Amino acid sequence: MTDIDVSAPGIGADPSRRRYELEETGFKEVPKKWRKFYRHWGGPLDTLAPNEVICPVCKVVIRATRELRPGDKVYCMPCMSRMVVVVAESGRLEAEVIF
Amino acid sequence: MSVVDEFDPHALAEQDFLDEVHSFQFWFDSVEGYLSDRPYGRLETTVDEPIDDARRERLITTLCNYSVGETAALEGAAGLVQLAPDRNSKIFMATQVADEARHLEVFLHRLRELGVADPEAEIERRAQPALVDFKGALLDLVAEGDWQAAVFAQNVVLETMEYTVFRLHAANADPVTRDVLAGVISDERRHAGFGENDLGRSLAADPSGRARLREIRTGLDAMVVGVFEAALADIGAPAGERSQLAHEYLDTIERLGLT
Repeated sequence: MTDIDVSAPGIGADPSRRRYELEETGFKEVPKKWRKFYRHWGGPLDTLAPNEVICPVCKVVIRATRELRPGDKVYCMPCMSRMVVVVAESGRLEAEVIF
Repeated sequence: MSVVDEFDPHALAEQDFLDEVHSFQFWFDSVEGYLSDRPYGRLETTVDEPIDDARRERLITTLCNYSVGETAALEGAAGLVQLAPDRNSKIFMATQVADEARHLEVFLHRLRELGVADPEAEIERRAQPALVDFKGALLDLVAEGDWQAAVFAQNVVLETMEYTVFRLHAANADPVTRDVLAGVISDERRHAGFGENDLGRSLAADPSGRARLREIRTGLDAMVVGVFEAALADIGAPAGERSQLAHEYLDTIERLGLT
């Protein structure tokens, strides 16, 4: 484990985080069982929820079942990227690709 | 008590994630979601709108050049199946071959819908020489057995630019062309992502490859950047949007440490 990794089940299983019920939003670019974890980004005016970050590679919104925190590891299945959640200069949560 | 979803992608171990997203099953279940009701990429309910002659001419030229790019990627991906260093990559690259063949087919079909009787001859006539040169350079890298450089040329340089251009084009296109592009864009997301991540992992393991790829990039950029900028002008993308092409491409290059 590196310092940018968290144990994988941490996000969904952490009861101290606010939980979000995910529903499909019309994003169909992954198999059905994974679809609710992703949605199309609506552009700069699209406000992200605390359980969402934008994939910097393909601009899809990545969603989790609980609020995201810096250091969380998330996957973008539509573009096959692995990333870590960080706090940007703006104070917003962003995702950085890790290889 | 905590509740954990049975299927949570973020809970996958890295290798399980890679096995999943590179699989033929993942590809099949993905494309089924956005292509099954679209013969030749087009929703049957979408109605073609009249296009004036000047716009039609520009669209034909653009689609001819898209066809050159897709043919390059089709032939390149087919050759890369043999070069792929592991079975997951071979399987993924085989799905890319199918995607590229479909892209070429839907663009040829759209050309015929626009009244082009002989798309092969029209592509020959309208192809940008620089893009034809790019295709030759990509296939040379494949023929040399250079997986890393060929993936860079095909899945990073070509696919990243196509991904941006197709998205901007879709936003400004007639309804049928927009439908066709929508399916292609969904495919390109996988292709560009595969390229960046495959190269990212190999360069993280052996950073010495960066100097060579920077050199290769210089030659390739000269062949394709102008072509795609011209395509954006042809489709009438606003000037502000056109800068997105360089911006998104350079973001990718920067993440890979190739600036």
